[in-house]
Amino acid sequence: MSRAFWTGLAIAGAVLVETALTYLVASPGRYLDPFLLVTVYCALAGGETHGMLAGAAAGWVQDVLFGGRVLGLSSLSKLVVGFGVGLAGGRFMIAGAAARALVILLATVADALLLQWLASVFSLPATGLSPLALVSRATLNALVGGLAFALADRRLGSRP
Amino acid sequence: MALAVPARRSRLLLAGLVLVHLAVISHQVDGGGGVSLLQRGLLAVLSPLQRGVGAIVGGVGEAWRGWAFHRKTYQENRRLEQRVRRLETELQESSARAQDGVRLRELLDLRRAVPMETVAAEVVSRDGVPWFRSLTIDKGDADGVVLDAPVMCPTGVVGRVFAVGPHAARVQVLLDRDSGAGVLVERSRVPGVVSGQVSGQASGAEDLVLEYVPERSDVMVGDVVVTSGLDRIYPKGLVVGRVRYVGKGSGLFRDIRVEPSARFDRLEEVLVVRQAREPLETPRSVQ
Repeated sequence: MSRAFWTGLAIAGAVLVETALTYLVASPGRYLDPFLLVTVYCALAGGETHGMLAGAAAGWVQDVLFGGRVLGLSSLSKLVVGFGVGLAGGRFMIAGAAARALVILLATVADALLLQWLASVFSLPATGLSPLALVSRATLNALVGGLAFALADRRLGSRP
Repeated sequence: MALAVPARRSRLLLAGLVLVHLAVISHQVDGGGGVSLLQRGLLAVLSPLQRGVGAIVGGVGEAWRGWAFHRKTYQENRRLEQRVRRLETELQESSARAQDGVRLRELLDLRRAVPMETVAAEVVSRDGVPWFRSLTIDKGDADGVVLDAPVMCPTGVVGRVFAVGPHAARVQVLLDRDSGAGVLVERSRVPGVVSGQVSGQASGAEDLVLEYVPERSDVMVGDVVVTSGLDRIYPKGLVVGRVRYVGKGSGLFRDIRVEPSARFDRLEEVLVVRQAREPLETPRSVQ
């Protein structure tokens, strides 16, 4: 199977998870970002190009299905995050669960900050995340992401 | 695996994708005035360029239109000038034709009124030398013109033919000092002879001299002078002119000047008598 297929499949899974969470909590996006997890995993596994392409695709799907009035903000932020994570994955040894969790945490923060900055740049009315909410979201992402990456590694038989 | 794609290409791809995203987002964001931010940004960036291009194109277009307008105006001016010249020429030709028509009609009237066989001729030249008063007509013996044939115009006697060629003839006009015609005053029937005068004499070199009129004769200024027919050249009854001056002569005869009725300086067509049919009466056009 090609990398694009698995990426698409991962994005589809993120859609399912996000949709499922919608029925469980009021604002699932405030706690977990499965599309960001897909982006980070692809970036760590495939490098900056794969990471940014996967981030762009995942972001577009997120924007279209769960985003606001303006499309492209999540896509752009995840594009940059994917590139950065991929670049970092090529420079540093990010192999352990803790390291990947840290990367996910940092990526979540970076994604949130970048999206809010873009919203301010384009003068878009966006609800800001408090630092506590941001940390909570990042932590949950890191935990869920660490677990998901381990499962994925086991299924795919490879490690980034 | 992580370095499968060169970093340079990935950075370029990143830049391109970022720009695409920015453009897409900007396109969706309302920048105010009902236009998107992308449109607003593009307007801000491109409008000076558009203004510059517009100014250049407008200037060039204006210059082109100006040049084309001036060129068109110049061509129109030339065309109108040519048209004016052509119309002026046509107008002159029409005027000349109208004048010709008037003259020819008068000539035709004269021809109908004169009880003689005549031939119309066109004056082709006049006064070839200063010592003689003559003119040349375009009819000769091939047209029936004979020597000493009288020549007249609608207003009066012109002279007589003194040289004939096949298709041209020379006419001695009455103003020539060697000419002579037997005349009489129409009102009092006083006879006399008119001829041209020697230049430098008393009153008006363009007048005829009426000679051999006795001192006691009844001649008044304004009397009409007609041919008498006694010279065997001019038929009787042709108008020669009007008495303009009557004075006391140096001898037995009076000094009388006659203003010729023919305008010798404006003659263009004349009638040449070929054969007399019956005694003349004064034509209406002459009267």
